Amino acid sequence: MEPSNPEDHVGSSTGENSNQMPISDDVKALLTDARTNNKSVCCERCDSVVLKAGDASLSQVEFFLPHMKKKTENQRPGDGETLREFWLVGDMCTFENVGFSNTVETTKYLTCADCEVGPIGWCDVRDRTKFYVAVDRVSHK
Amino acid sequence: MAKTYDFLFKLLLIGDSGVGKTCVLFRFSEDAFNSTFISTIGIDFKIRTIELDGKKIKLQIWDTAGQERFRTITTAYYRGAMGIMLVYDITNEKSFENIKNWIRNIEEHASSDVERMILGNKCDCDDRRGVSRQRGEQLAVEYGVKFMETSAKAGINVEQAFFTLARDIKAKMENKLASHPSKGGGTQLKKNEPQKKSSTWKCQLL
Repeated sequence: MEPSNPEDHVGSSTGENSNQMPISDDVKALLTDARTNNKSVCCERCDSVVLKAGDASLSQVEFFLPHMKKKTENQRPGDGETLREFWLVGDMCTFENVGFSNTVETTKYLTCADCEVGPIGWCDVRDRTKFYVAVDRVSHK
Repeated sequence: MAKTYDFLFKLLLIGDSGVGKTCVLFRFSEDAFNSTFISTIGIDFKIRTIELDGKKIKLQIWDTAGQERFRTITTAYYRGAMGIMLVYDITNEKSFENIKNWIRNIEEHASSDVERMILGNKCDCDDRRGVSRQRGEQLAVEYGVKFMETSAKAGINVEQAFFTLARDIKAKMENKLASHPSKGGGTQLKKNEPQKKSSTWKCQLL
């Protein structure tokens, strides 16, 4: 059984079973009943529109993304964090505006098309039907 | 999933290194904000959405970054390209002279009906100008293509340039459709048309 009070478990998930990770209230507030984004997904730095409302669905997977911002002086380029909530898009042409990085191993990182801040998400070049934008790294308007 | 756009155009930016192609496409950005990660690995291409005469158009824009010698840019790179921006730097005579070589390269390797446009970039640097506007215009007339001076840094004409190229491609495509209606639309995609995995080069980028 799912816990009835999901917020008690935010951040404590091991992510071993991604389907059962609780959704925080912050993220719930961004969802339609069909689990799509109820607002536009925008660059948090320059407001460039990445996805229009309703174009993506919430996906809970664990993925490590290098930091977008320089957090400390001795931060190395590969330093980052594991994120767990992503907007999932099935066709790259669904994006309004987005940049794709060069491929690193099998990953392409997504950036803002205008100011190039990133990574805001990722895709795996072996699967052309899944493009992920980190909920934490964009603004919703 | 239903299609939410009317056209998908693949555009290329071509020109010598240092002419600011990256900035033309990838709007001038202040690196100070950015982590080093993205600037280290570099950007491959972008998707931008514009609206022209009520039609939604997806532009897929590629930069030659890192392989800008004529001999390294061959057929594979041009495949599926519908528009090419030829970019030179108005402060760099050599980059202007090389536009002719780039055009030759395009004629050799790209589809013969690709739309072309010449951009003289860095027009904010008038004090260091080495190529007059007239020479740019003349070259464009010689090849029968459109011409604009742009400043990616100052944001002058960059969007207009992409709109102009996209409008020309769209017009060409609509003409083709009108004269060969039986052929169907190649890359024109109808709204709500079910997604076909096999459709020409659509999004087969990765």
